[in-house]
Amino acid sequence: MLRFLGLVVLGALIGGLAALAAVGFVSAVLWLNDALLISPRGRMMFAHPEALAITTVLVPALGGLVVGQLHRAIRERHPHTPADVIAAVQTRRGRLPARAGVLSALSGLVSLGAGASVGQYGPLVHLGASLGSLSARWLRLGRSDDNVTIACGVAAAIATAFHAPLAGIVFAHEVVLRHYALRAFAPVAAAAIVGHVIATNVLSSGALFHVSDTAVPRPWEFAAFIVIGGFGALVAGAYMHAILAVGRWAGRLPVVPSLRPALAGAALGLVALWVPDILGMGQETLRFATIEGAFDGIELVTVLLLKLVATALCIGMGFGGGVFSPALVIGTLFGALCGTLIGNAGLAGDTFVFYAVCGMVAVTAPVIGAPLTSLLIVFELTGSYVLTTAALASVTLASPIAAQLFGRSLFDIQLAKRGLDLSAGRGRALLQSARLKHLLSQDCVTLQPSTRIDDAVAILGHGGHGEAYLVDDKGRYRGSVTLADLEVMRERDRGRRQVRDCPRTPRPVLGPEASVWEAMHQLQDVTGEAIAVVDDKAGDAFLGVVYEASIARAYLQHSEALRREEHGTG
Amino acid sequence: MARVDHGIRRACSGALLCMMLLLASSPHGDNTPVDALTVLSWGGAYERAQQRALFAPFTEVTGIPVEVHQYDGDIAELRHAVAEGKVPWDLIDMTRSQAKSACAEQLLEPLSPDLPAPAPDGTPAERDFIDGALNRCSITHSVFATVVAYRRDAFPGRRPTEIADLFDQQRFPGPRALQRTPAVNLEWALLSYGVPREEIYRLLSTHRGLSLAFERIDSLENLRWWKAGDTPVRLLADNEVVMASGYNGRFFDAMINRDLPIDILWDGQVQEHETWAVPRYAAHPDIARDFIRFATSSERQAALARLIPYGPSRRSATLQVTHHPDSGVDMRLHIPTHPLNAERAITKDDDWYARSHARIDDYFQKALLDERKDSEAR
Repeated sequence: MLRFLGLVVLGALIGGLAALAAVGFVSAVLWLNDALLISPRGRMMFAHPEALAITTVLVPALGGLVVGQLHRAIRERHPHTPADVIAAVQTRRGRLPARAGVLSALSGLVSLGAGASVGQYGPLVHLGASLGSLSARWLRLGRSDDNVTIACGVAAAIATAFHAPLAGIVFAHEVVLRHYALRAFAPVAAAAIVGHVIATNVLSSGALFHVSDTAVPRPWEFAAFIVIGGFGALVAGAYMHAILAVGRWAGRLPVVPSLRPALAGAALGLVALWVPDILGMGQETLRFATIEGAFDGIELVTVLLLKLVATALCIGMGFGGGVFSPALVIGTLFGALCGTLIGNAGLAGDTFVFYAVCGMVAVTAPVIGAPLTSLLIVFELTGSYVLTTAALASVTLASPIAAQLFGRSLFDIQLAKRGLDLSAGRGRALLQSARLKHLLSQDCVTLQPSTRIDDAVAILGHGGHGEAYLVDDKGRYRGSVTLADLEVMRERDRGRRQVRDCPRTPRPVLGPEASVWEAMHQLQDVTGEAIAVVDDKAGDAFLGVVYEASIARAYLQHSEALRREEHGTG
Repeated sequence: MARVDHGIRRACSGALLCMMLLLASSPHGDNTPVDALTVLSWGGAYERAQQRALFAPFTEVTGIPVEVHQYDGDIAELRHAVAEGKVPWDLIDMTRSQAKSACAEQLLEPLSPDLPAPAPDGTPAERDFIDGALNRCSITHSVFATVVAYRRDAFPGRRPTEIADLFDQQRFPGPRALQRTPAVNLEWALLSYGVPREEIYRLLSTHRGLSLAFERIDSLENLRWWKAGDTPVRLLADNEVVMASGYNGRFFDAMINRDLPIDILWDGQVQEHETWAVPRYAAHPDIARDFIRFATSSERQAALARLIPYGPSRRSATLQVTHHPDSGVDMRLHIPTHPLNAERAITKDDDWYARSHARIDDYFQKALLDERKDSEAR
């Protein structure tokens, strides 16, 4: 009980820390955007058009240069993202690295400040998560508590940045934890509340959008919202795959990785000379897209495509930053396009903003894999129940269609490419990432293939084992024999022969990097006491064995830990 | 105890002013009768109120006569005078945006934030003044607003309630009059699209935002442009327009003192700060500073707001605003900073205008005025 209350208090503290960090980050981005002539306000207040054109190209390019150098100091050579947070929590690894956390936040700050077409919520989520994980490590808490503190940081960051505490809590559960245990809920809620309180007191402006409309859509329009959801899923898919495709393409470019962001920045700046809407997070573009008549149809398509390409270019070429804010802009433009088409057909009344918001939700929910969070953001930002219901209609089709066609979220797709498949749930992901190495045992009988069968039986008998592993002079694995096989040979009076002549049933072996999940699968085909672990890469070197009992024990332990974490109340 | 304290404080400030008077007048002694404080202000009902609430009481306490010159807010003359090194005024009543520009051009003396006296209850001036009141070269004394006024008899059965109604000639038919400047008009035009007030200047910074605003203004039929502050009142009085933008003080005067059938639409009011500033090369900068301290006291601010409906810049003064001494009108309902009136108020972004007005004026001229010169009102 006391420990649980302590965790709630810790959650609130982490919430405060993460919220302050988020406030600092957001303010710094705004200041940089004004100072570096990225924000429209800064650009309008600057008097020299020629110099403005030069800085428009130069600032993102130089920003890219700085970001590229920052990334050289990260072990993986790229900034960490919410995907890393999800991976750490889903595999119960926890322990987000501090150095990479700080550098990733810095990279996000420079990227956003220099006007790259990326989002701020990704870096904020990762920053909050890193702070949470650091606190857990500092207090020497266990892995389950580490997961909870990570979720606290995430919830506070979202609650602060969006002024939306409920969305923060749900995001931490829906995207990061992926379970709803009371034990995690209370600290996460505490963190979100603290974040919200700090945000309302310190961050006076900064809410994403406000809607004062009170129009009510006609019944048939809800059908349109659902259909928009379906098409929004396709836009989301195009967006995600564009990012991944540019990433692959960038890998083949004959340019040093640390210079790629600068290249993307220069390209972005050049296009922004004609279409400044694609610079930065695009809050003004987002707002205009909710106003009927601010863009005509052609402009909507142009800005939508350019923003999509610009974001894919920036993120794919290695700028640090999130995918959420650009998705909001793209989605809103898409919704506005639908609204304009329906308006041109003479069907809609004054419900334009509904289409914009439906498009926004339909594109963002699949990208971050969080339909509920997207709905709550709409609800908490607009306070409009009708608008939320419309958004619900569009997310109904958007999320499942995108999940079927592309994957649960961009993060999940990225993790799957790294070998962490979360599509079958956390249990499997956990077992897949749990390594067998520490289960490896040398307590087994190894025989030279040239050993005589009689001797082998004796050795096995003395060793108290039923199986022996054939290992040659060079330490290479040559198969296994069971006591039963050897006895059969001896019955047939072939005891003087060598073990290598004994018929063997082929048995699977495991690699040194095999997971508990893989081992459990092998067990289905094996009857015996242990499975040999063999390193293919080192010429079939025999490393030892893993006992079936220890595999089963590991499986049960992991399942039990998960059960405690996900169903514990305190 | 508090009352005694208050009395002592007042006695002290009186003594201080007397001492100042002696110091200021003694060197010149017999040559000139008494040095006069020369103030540059706006004239009209506003100046009459200042005369009654500020200038006359100041002369009464210090014996220093106050001489008032009038201007229309343009700082070109000040610029010229400073360049010559001979400035005929000691004190200027100017808008905060002008004061900021003038301060940046080094036309004004710096003013210490400690210059104004603390509130009667001892609250230090920094906390008693509203945000953005104490600047490097200027101290806000009042908040005035540009609002829309409409003829009560123009729309039988309905009345405008929000600023979007200014642009809705379907529901509220009739000619309009707007000031011939981008300021305020652009803000209202964008507000009418449902843009929240926090985002107005960010969106007006884009070409898209500006063209949306111009489009909205351009859609008005029968639009008259005004330049001088009394024109909109006249146009409304003569029934030449049914809705007009203008300064809230002028509309108040027309409504209360001249009984015109007009009402103020407070939604979307654009608030500006009116400040005191001391020009460089002023002949009597010390008297000017003493006057500022005198005129920005809670008591004097409240006295001014009882005569003319401008919101005091001190919270303690706002609490003391009561009825007009002559007409008995409850002035609290007519000042822009009253909570009911200020619900959807915009504070004019001086910095934004100070640094972009040349371009904004240009766009405004090109988009709206070039083909419309014929309809301009004198």
